[in-house]
Amino acid sequence: MKLTGFRIQNFRSIIDTGWTYLSPDNITGLIGQNESGKTSILEALNSFFTGTISEDILRSDLSLPCVHCIFDIIKVDVEEELNEKRLPDGVIDEIKKKENIFLKRSWGEDITSHIELAGDKVLEIYRGFYGKREKEEKKIKEKIEEAINEHDNAIRKSEKAFSEKEEKHHELEAAKEKLTLLQKKQKAKKNGENSNTIKDKITETKKYLEECRNFHVSAGKNAEILASEARKLSKKANLARESIQAEKKFLINKKELEESYKELQKYQRIFDMSYDEKERRASRTQLDSSNEAYVRVLRNYEQSKEDAILKKIVAFKVLSGDSIDEVKNKIKKEKPHIDKYYSLEEAGRKLFNYVPEFVFFEDFLSLLPDRIDLHDIHTENTNIEGYKAARNFLMVSGLNEDFFQQTNNRILKHKIEKLNKEITINFQDYWRQSIGKHNKIKINFELEHYDNSNPDKSGLPYIEFWIKDREERLYPKQRSRGVRWFLSFYLELQAAALSKNGSDIVILIDEPGVSLHARAQEDVLKVFDNIKERVQIIYTTHSPHLIDLNKLYRLLAVQRAVDEDESSETKIFDAKSLTTASTDTLSPIYSLMGIRLSEQKFIQKKNNIILEDIATFYYMKALTDMKNFEKQVFYLPATGVSNIRSLVNMLLGWGIDFLVLTGTNKEGDDLKHDLTKHLFANNEDLANMKLIQFDHFKSIEDMFSTIDFKKYILHKRIGIPESNLEYIVNNTLSRSILASNFMREVKDSKLKWGSLDEETRDNFSYLFDELSKRLE
Amino acid sequence: MPQDNKLYQELLKQKDEISRQRKEIIESLEYACLIQTALLPQSSSIQKKLHNNFILYLPKDIISGDFYWMYEREEDVLFAAVDCTGHGVPGALMSILGISSLNEIVSNIGDIKANRILNQLREKIMKSLHQTGQGGESKDGMDISFCVYNRKTKELQYSGANNPLYYIRQDVLHEIKPDKMPIGVSGIEEKSFRNNVVKMKKGDVLYIFTDGFPDQFGGPEEKKFKYKPFKNLLLEIHNKNMKEQREILFSSFHAWKRDFEQIDDVLIMGVRID
Repeated sequence: MKLTGFRIQNFRSIIDTGWTYLSPDNITGLIGQNESGKTSILEALNSFFTGTISEDILRSDLSLPCVHCIFDIIKVDVEEELNEKRLPDGVIDEIKKKENIFLKRSWGEDITSHIELAGDKVLEIYRGFYGKREKEEKKIKEKIEEAINEHDNAIRKSEKAFSEKEEKHHELEAAKEKLTLLQKKQKAKKNGENSNTIKDKITETKKYLEECRNFHVSAGKNAEILASEARKLSKKANLARESIQAEKKFLINKKELEESYKELQKYQRIFDMSYDEKERRASRTQLDSSNEAYVRVLRNYEQSKEDAILKKIVAFKVLSGDSIDEVKNKIKKEKPHIDKYYSLEEAGRKLFNYVPEFVFFEDFLSLLPDRIDLHDIHTENTNIEGYKAARNFLMVSGLNEDFFQQTNNRILKHKIEKLNKEITINFQDYWRQSIGKHNKIKINFELEHYDNSNPDKSGLPYIEFWIKDREERLYPKQRSRGVRWFLSFYLELQAAALSKNGSDIVILIDEPGVSLHARAQEDVLKVFDNIKERVQIIYTTHSPHLIDLNKLYRLLAVQRAVDEDESSETKIFDAKSLTTASTDTLSPIYSLMGIRLSEQKFIQKKNNIILEDIATFYYMKALTDMKNFEKQVFYLPATGVSNIRSLVNMLLGWGIDFLVLTGTNKEGDDLKHDLTKHLFANNEDLANMKLIQFDHFKSIEDMFSTIDFKKYILHKRIGIPESNLEYIVNNTLSRSILASNFMREVKDSKLKWGSLDEETRDNFSYLFDELSKRLE
Repeated sequence: MPQDNKLYQELLKQKDEISRQRKEIIESLEYACLIQTALLPQSSSIQKKLHNNFILYLPKDIISGDFYWMYEREEDVLFAAVDCTGHGVPGALMSILGISSLNEIVSNIGDIKANRILNQLREKIMKSLHQTGQGGESKDGMDISFCVYNRKTKELQYSGANNPLYYIRQDVLHEIKPDKMPIGVSGIEEKSFRNNVVKMKKGDVLYIFTDGFPDQFGGPEEKKFKYKPFKNLLLEIHNKNMKEQREILFSSFHAWKRDFEQIDDVLIMGVRID
């Protein structure tokens, strides 16, 4: 994948860069003053890749940082990569349509981060998808809760009914007892009470007893009915309760997973920052253990997630009327398809595996040493001075351990000699400076062994480096810092380009070549151009020598929103809007161009029209006067179509508005295509406003009718069946002379607009109309 | 007398030679006529482009200095009646030049405008004949009525070099005058031909022609037919079908000419707008 753009939010001085796009040719330069925020942009991009930030990048308002990156997916089949689960409908189509993906890394308050799939349209689809899901979930939840509530109510009612039954039973028993007493009383025939009264009471009591019996029976029946209803509901309610339990368990496991992941990230960071092999070994144990725990927790999480989902679906379907067995059978079949959707985070993590590697060079702390022990190379002892540069050297040379196992010294020396030559030649392609008149520097290395003067290492092998010129051979440390820096830089970039074996890499370089001479800085650009097919480069600079004037489309201007206010936010301007950047920001471009063009009289801020050549200039000047064109225009003749690009870049850099007018021919078409692509980012509408071609005429001469061409330019009466331009070419006439004579005639008022043929007038009227639409 | 006999034999011999050469020339001209005819548009092709038309084509000699030409591009039909300088062999050679030039122009042209085609044709003829307007050079060229008719919009563009266009609408004859300059060099410096645009209506009949018919001597007073009677004749016949019109023009021509020699090639094209 290739990085094509980014957006950074809340990172140091950056509030929001907005969407910013990189140069299409893989080299992007960030220009701006010190403290403008250039380095912050590189750091932010690096953080996107590594996931790590330090607390000092946080803004004072405590807003949390976020970095978005856009990658083209030309080499990646997203559908094939995301094949374990599904994406919501429309996401793949959107990705394929745009041929790019948006990934976003955001940080939380605890400085941990997560990566997710992003992009306005994709998020919209997900929002819709989640919204729909949420509604479904809500529906399911309501149904489950309803079932449980219903069951609870039924149980309450049933219990109440049983209570009532119990009460009635007590009443019945009491009535029975009373009756028994009364009957006993009646039998005893005790005086004192009227036997009729007792009889009445017995009758009443028997009646009451009957009533109690009936109430008891009915209460009993009611209780049974309610109990039965509650039993009916219990199966469904139990399913609902199981679902809720499963959900709770899932949430617990999810929390555990998050914590386990944070722990894993912590140990990963420690491991990544390990200084040497010893430290790495130590932190590896913790990392492995944390990884195992994570895998365990992840398994539990996934299992509980699946369980929760299944139970929820079963509960919902049963509550909706399906039978349990039916549902369980269906679920078994559907199981692989249930809720197998990538979340934004899952999709983001998966696709993150395919992003290019970001490599950040802040400075070359590692300059090529004078010597390094082979043992340190093999054990990756990064603690040793110059280790990185030495390792790069060996990688670029194509050397590995086997090389040094060669026992035959003669063969070894021969191989080393050959390699020395190759490395030197390659390096000299970029390092054009000579010391003295013809002295080009050469890079050499040799394999040596410690002697007895170093008893600890006696006999052990080491590699010695030399930077030679014709006169002498010196250790790297004896050379200038500039030479050492450039060499190390060259080795670092070449090694990076080689190490990835063709896979993508983004190199972020902060202020390359500060200690280099101007010419050497230009050599740095040359190295960039050489490796840009294999790597993307984003670099910061405020040196004019690290800018290619013919490729201003590579530049992004970085500055504070308010000049000289370092507390104001960072803003970025791309090539099209460089005119809005401040003078100070653009000073590298200005320095490169020399004098300020806007101070000259023949070019103004607006209404400048770049023409192919001087002949076109003369004709256009003359016709503008003849026609009395209502707009004020300033014509700038280039010296051929091929030089228009340089002129365009100059005017662009100076913030001067312009149009380009060329003929409809191959050169003009190529120029239009090139400028549309690099200057207007393939925006055809914008390009058509700025780049005009003579309507199907190869040159301005062809816009004259043959009659007018013969009469007012050639001053000859002959038959000209070919085009006017062809006639000029076939007869080796000078276009400039013909044109300047024409202009002189017009200036001498010998020729008027009305004298021209209708065909000529029509052609030029159309052209001036087109110009008028685009001029102020 | 023997001397007379010798002379007589000589005469006979020369007569035979002349007859033989004449025969050869005639055969050669007849063959040339085949070639010239092959270069003219075929009647079936004309019929496809302009459904209702006639062409009266009467070369003076075996081969002609007049020619008719036609071309179609999408909805536009281009047609012309051309009178090259001279008749017979020189005229025929010019006609070949004219036909090939027109074919070349229309194959390269973008926007079709009748006058611009004539402008370009003039350049080609001047170039081919090395004409510069200076004295002592060939003044050959052609007179032409050139039309571009759009079948969809019924718009007719006409541009003429010395030859007019007539069209009759509702029994009224309208004339569009040509520019008074030939296709070729002339006494005055070249100017652009005018482009005349007329919106045709259904039932209109237009005529383009060379001057052979109106310039023909004949009649009871042995005079030219002239343009006014020619117009009247066209007015008389314009309502008839195209085949009949051709026949009437043919018979009228011969009736007028009688025993007089045909003085020039005759070409009349008539088109009725559908």
